[in-house]
Formats: sequence, C-alpha cells, structure tokens
Amino acid sequence: MAANRLSGPVAAGRREAPPIQRRLPAARRRPRRRPASAALLYLAPAVLLYTLFTVLPALHTGYLSLFDWDGVTLPSFAGLGNYRLVFADPQLRAAAVHAGTLIIFFSALPILFGLVGAALVARHRRRGMGFVRTVLFLPQVVPLVAVGIMWRWVYAEDGVVNQVLRQAGLGEAAQAWLGSFDWALLAVGLIGTWVVSGLCLVLFLSGTQRIDREIYEASRMDGAGPVREFVSITVPLLRPEIAVALSITVIAALASFDLIYTTTGGGPGNSTVVPGILIYRLAFGGGAVGLASALAVVLTAVIFAIVLTLNRLIREVP
Amino acid sequence: MSQHPYPWTGRDLSRRTLLSGFAVTGVAALAGCAALTPGASSTPAAATGPVTTALPADKKIMLKVADADDTSMTPALLEAFQKKHPNVTFERQYTGWDDYLKSINLTMSATTAPDIAQFTPGMQNLIPGGLLLDVSAYGKAYGWPDKFPGLDQITFEPDGKTVGTGALYGVPGGLSFEGVYYNKAKAAELGLTVPVKTVEELEALFVKAKAAGELALVVGNLDGGLNHPFNQLLSVYLKPEDRTAWAFGHKGATIVLPEAKTAAATLKRWVDEGYISPDVNGISDEDATAGFAKGKGVFRISGNWAAAAVAKGLGDDAGYFSMPQATADSKIRTTGAGVYYCVSSKSANAAAAAAFLDFVGSEEAAKITADAGFMAPKADAMPAKTGLLGALQEGWQATVRDKGLQPFIQNASTPTMGDTLKTQLQLLAGGKATVDEFLAGIQADFDNYHK
Repeated sequence: MAANRLSGPVAAGRREAPPIQRRLPAARRRPRRRPASAALLYLAPAVLLYTLFTVLPALHTGYLSLFDWDGVTLPSFAGLGNYRLVFADPQLRAAAVHAGTLIIFFSALPILFGLVGAALVARHRRRGMGFVRTVLFLPQVVPLVAVGIMWRWVYAEDGVVNQVLRQAGLGEAAQAWLGSFDWALLAVGLIGTWVVSGLCLVLFLSGTQRIDREIYEASRMDGAGPVREFVSITVPLLRPEIAVALSITVIAALASFDLIYTTTGGGPGNSTVVPGILIYRLAFGGGAVGLASALAVVLTAVIFAIVLTLNRLIREVP
Repeated sequence: MSQHPYPWTGRDLSRRTLLSGFAVTGVAALAGCAALTPGASSTPAAATGPVTTALPADKKIMLKVADADDTSMTPALLEAFQKKHPNVTFERQYTGWDDYLKSINLTMSATTAPDIAQFTPGMQNLIPGGLLLDVSAYGKAYGWPDKFPGLDQITFEPDGKTVGTGALYGVPGGLSFEGVYYNKAKAAELGLTVPVKTVEELEALFVKAKAAGELALVVGNLDGGLNHPFNQLLSVYLKPEDRTAWAFGHKGATIVLPEAKTAAATLKRWVDEGYISPDVNGISDEDATAGFAKGKGVFRISGNWAAAAVAKGLGDDAGYFSMPQATADSKIRTTGAGVYYCVSSKSANAAAAAAFLDFVGSEEAAKITADAGFMAPKADAMPAKTGLLGALQEGWQATVRDKGLQPFIQNASTPTMGDTLKTQLQLLAGGKATVDEFLAGIQADFDNYHK
C-alpha cells in the first residue's frame, strides 16, 4: 500500500527523476497530471475482452430467460413465466438438494483434509515438499472429463474399489457404485473430494509459510500440543485462505456439471441430477433455451448470495 | 520498489470516470443484446418448384457436408460420388455424435450452413424454422420411395412434431437394426438350442443360462442401454400403428397400453429374475458390448453397429439371430435407425445435393455402406458376407422383406425422450418405479411436449 501512496503523480513529480528519464523528450518529463482517459485506454483491452466474453453473454442469458425459445425458430416473449416454472419444478428442488449435499464433499471435506495436512506439514518442514505438493495438486491439472472417465473405471463392476472389497472378503458389498440409487451421489461426491483436496492443501500450505515460525515456537514453549496448535494458531491465522478455498469450492459444488455428466449423467433415475445438468438438458437437448437461461440466472444469483454470505461470516469472526 | 509501475492508478482515476466507463460498457452490452435477438425466420421455405435430376457437368460445385458418422461410410460415399462427377467437390466437417447433436441446430441456422447434413433426432425443430429443404419433389422425380426403406422416419408435418406424414426431408444412407447376438461356445456348452422363434422360448434359454450360473443377457443401463431390449419388446408386442403413432409424436397417442405394459413387465421380470445383472444401472452400454465381446454372458440384444466389436472379440463363437417374436409365425419386427442425410434450405446447389442423396441409394453405394458395417437401403445389392456379418445381412434382408423396421421410441417422439427414457428405465431396473409408473413417466414427457 505504501508504494501505491508514494507513486501518485504528485509524489512522482516531487521525486528526483532517475537518470533514464532525462533522455526522454522534454514534454514527457514535465510532471503533468495524466488525463483519466489514459487509464481507460490501458483498461480497454481487459474490459473489452471481459465484456465481450463474460458480461455480454451473461446479460444475453438474462435477456433470453424472458423468452420461450426452442433455439431455432422465432422466440415469443414470456416475461417472468420461465422463472415461475423454475420455482415450481420438483426436479429442480431435488437438484438443489443434491448440489447442497455436494458442498460437503467439494468444500467441507477438502478444507478439513487441507487444514490437517497443512498443519502436519507446517510442524515439520522436510525436503522434497515441492514434489509432494506437485503430486497432491495433480488432480487439479487433469481435465475433469478425464477424471470422470477414470473414476468410472474405478467404481465399475470390476473396478478397483470392488477388487479391493473382494480381496478383503467383502465381496457381498461389491456393486456398480455409480448405478446404485443409494451410493451414486456419495461416489460422485468423493471424486470431487479427491479433486479439490489437493488445491486446498496447496492453498493452506502457502498460507502456513506466511505464519511466523516464532508463533509456533512460542506456543510450544507454553506447552501447546499439536491439537492445540492446530486449533489456536493454524486455523485462525489461515482464515483468509479458508475464505478463498470456501468460495472456490462452494462454487465448484453448486455449479458442478462436467464430473456428473461424465460419470452418471444425473442417474440412476434422477439421484445425482444437479442444476448444471438440468440447464444442459433443457438448453441443448430439450429445446427450452429460455427456461434453461432462467435456471442459469437463478443458479448464478444463488451462488453469489451463498458465497458472499460465507465470506462475510468468515471475515466477521474475531 | 518505491516507484509504482502504474502511477495513474489510484486517486487521479476519479470515481466519475470509472462509473462512466462502466456505463459505456453496460450500454454497449445492452445494445449487443438487442442485436442478438434470437431466432430464425419462422416462415417455412417455399415448397420447391419443378426440380431437375440432371447435374450440370460444366459448372464447378462445392458442397459442404456436416455429419457425425464415425464409420468409413460418409467419406467413402462422398469420394465415390466425386469420382463420378469430377466438377463436384466436398468439404466435409465431421463432429462427434454428442457434440453434433447439441450443435447442429445452431450450425444449420448459420448463414454458412452446410449444404448436406446428417439428420439427427432434435433436428425436427429446424422444420418450422424453414431451415431444412423439402425434398419431396426430388423424391418423386428420382423415385426414392422405391429405393429407400425407412423414409417415414424423415417425413414431417410443417410443425416438425409429427413424423411419418407430410413432406420428405432426406434419405437414409446406412441403416441399422437390432437383433440378438449370442456366444456360440457357451450356447453349446449349456445345451441351448438357437435360434429361437418366440420371446417365450428366449426366456426359457435365459432360465437355463441362469441356472448354470451364467449371466443370461448382457445389458448396460448407465447411459440408458436397457432401451435396446425395451424397444425390441415394444416391436414384438405393440401394434405397429400404435408404435408409429407414439414414436412419431402423433397427437393424442399414448404408450399406456396393455401391450406396452407386457413389454415393460417382461423387461422388469428379466431384471428381477437376475437374467440381467443387478448392477445394470452402473454399466455403460459400451462396456456391456466390450464385456460380451470378451466372453461375458450368453446373449446380448444390440444393433449391427456392435457387430465389428463382437466379431473381433468372439471370433467364430459370435452368433446372431433375428429378434424372436410373439408367436412363431409372426412377421419380423425390429427397431432400427439410420444415418439420414438432409439438405439445407440455404443451399445454393440443392440439385447437386439431391443428386448425392439419390446416389446413396444406388447399387454402387450399397457396397460402400455394407463395408462400413451398415445395412444398405438396397438390401439385395449388398455384397454377400459370411460368418456373423452374413447372419446379420440375412436378418436385414428378412426385415426389409417383412417391412419390419420400426423407429426407436426415443428418437422422434420428443426432443427430451432420450433423457426421460434413460431416467425411467433406471428407476424401473432399480426397483424405484413400477411398470405402470414407468409408462406414466415416459407418457408425461410426451404429453408435456405434444400438448
């Protein structure tokens, strides 16, 4: 922040110009208030791209949500009719419940694993941490479609999970997990945990490096054990990182699509349907682009509300 | 560090400038929205006037082709046609099936729409938009009704919702149909007498296989593969006119019928009795074929697209017979689809495109189609094959003779039926829906679309 304050144009003018600036044309050297339009000029590329590829499509989605449109023929204006349908759809309620359940697997568990892992590592720094970090982060780098297909094999009838169960004499429990009405959501959720945990751990590890080692030493002098250290030092001091992790992972849970699409496609029955799957089905297969857009708008609003609330709660805790 | 690289950030960028910047952005965005008013013209293209079956030989013609045909058929057909008509060149744009399904309507709406496109379920939405060319006149001029089976599957009323009556929009290139594959070695070992003529006899074989500890029928329903035996059982039990009316989305049609109930109950019994794996909902259709080809199970109900994999995996042990029927003297009725080609209403070279469509039904094309593993429209012109492919070919010729090719119920009834049927079949197989609830579930999707 200090650098920022010093570098205002007034401050810059007062400063002795470094030698390189002497060679610049006189007009440029003179301290002068730069017009604000220059700022916009520099912002323009980013603003333009962002507007073109994020803001505009988002607004367009909002606009489309007011129409009955099959994606091909002329649309008819529907007003808020699509939104009424969104809130009346029982399938959507189920989808919302599933997405909520996924928060446990995409957010709660990974953050817990990440915190415990980071605390363990932070206590004893060893060589080779870079390697461990890379391995743990790997699931983040693999495309989710590949992850989904890989886990389909893991959960398959003759997959690794069932092989292990049979080896352990639990062959009775072996089944095609993704096809089970009772287990499919849990199975898909655990894939999410596997993907996101590494991200959380790396995030928290970088956070622990920010924590002064003396604080740990001081607490140890005061007789704090590993658990006490975890609860009283690591977790509170990692709050900013936890806030970031929570935002990213909650969004990943609520907006999940690719993992579900490649593993169960929402099945069996509707037992793993999430809003993302419904939007996709409605817009691209069902010829209900307006309804899909309305659902997308509602989903975005809900995610915004939840993430903002979570962030506020975390920041407010003393 | 004391010199900030961007000295103009901070105080001198006034709040007002920022706000006006955002305002400009917002207005531009809204203007953009208005320009992006969706939808194509809703006036259907005028019916084609007199058409010619002659292809101008002196003019250079370039035809753009879009398809999702992952076999050698489409490229080989294009090449053969080009050899016959050197002034015609093709620019082929292949897309994988799933992506093709989801993007083709947008592709066809573009001003640069391909001249010829593979017709897929969901594209009937293009008809009220006037984006597909009504080729009825070409059909009459070329005599297509005598050359192609299955034209009803690409005949639509102007609303695009009713299939089987109205105007013709294309022709089938390669056709596919379903029947019963079996493992000859296992059948011999278990003392099963095949082929069988009735579903009852087939089920008796299932009982024997099950008693010997074998998986009787290999099915994967993770992505809805139970629809293959279900479609077959509907072909067996449902009256053809009821089947056509429902599968083609005719007004007031229903599947809540006693015959459909028999079909669904038979399927459910096969799951409940363990002829089908209890893990069926967790196995993909592809993996089921792969498993069968590796020697798992005794029977598999699938289409000719699986023939190559099964023949490769089981070798001489690969057997095939036509779907057993309700009674021993019933005509063969089975479910099938095809790679259909349609023409864009925006094509500047419709006559050339129609000439290609006609070529697809020719004797010359039959060989190409058969080599790619499809059944040719001109069934008797297919080069004779031996082994598994020979058995399939015999089945196809019998099906064409009996005029027994029926559409998949999910392909044309409603755009969402694929997903709905998958969901409902998973509920049925998982014991979460009764036969009545299952039929009511798919009927609800139908009523919702054809209200």
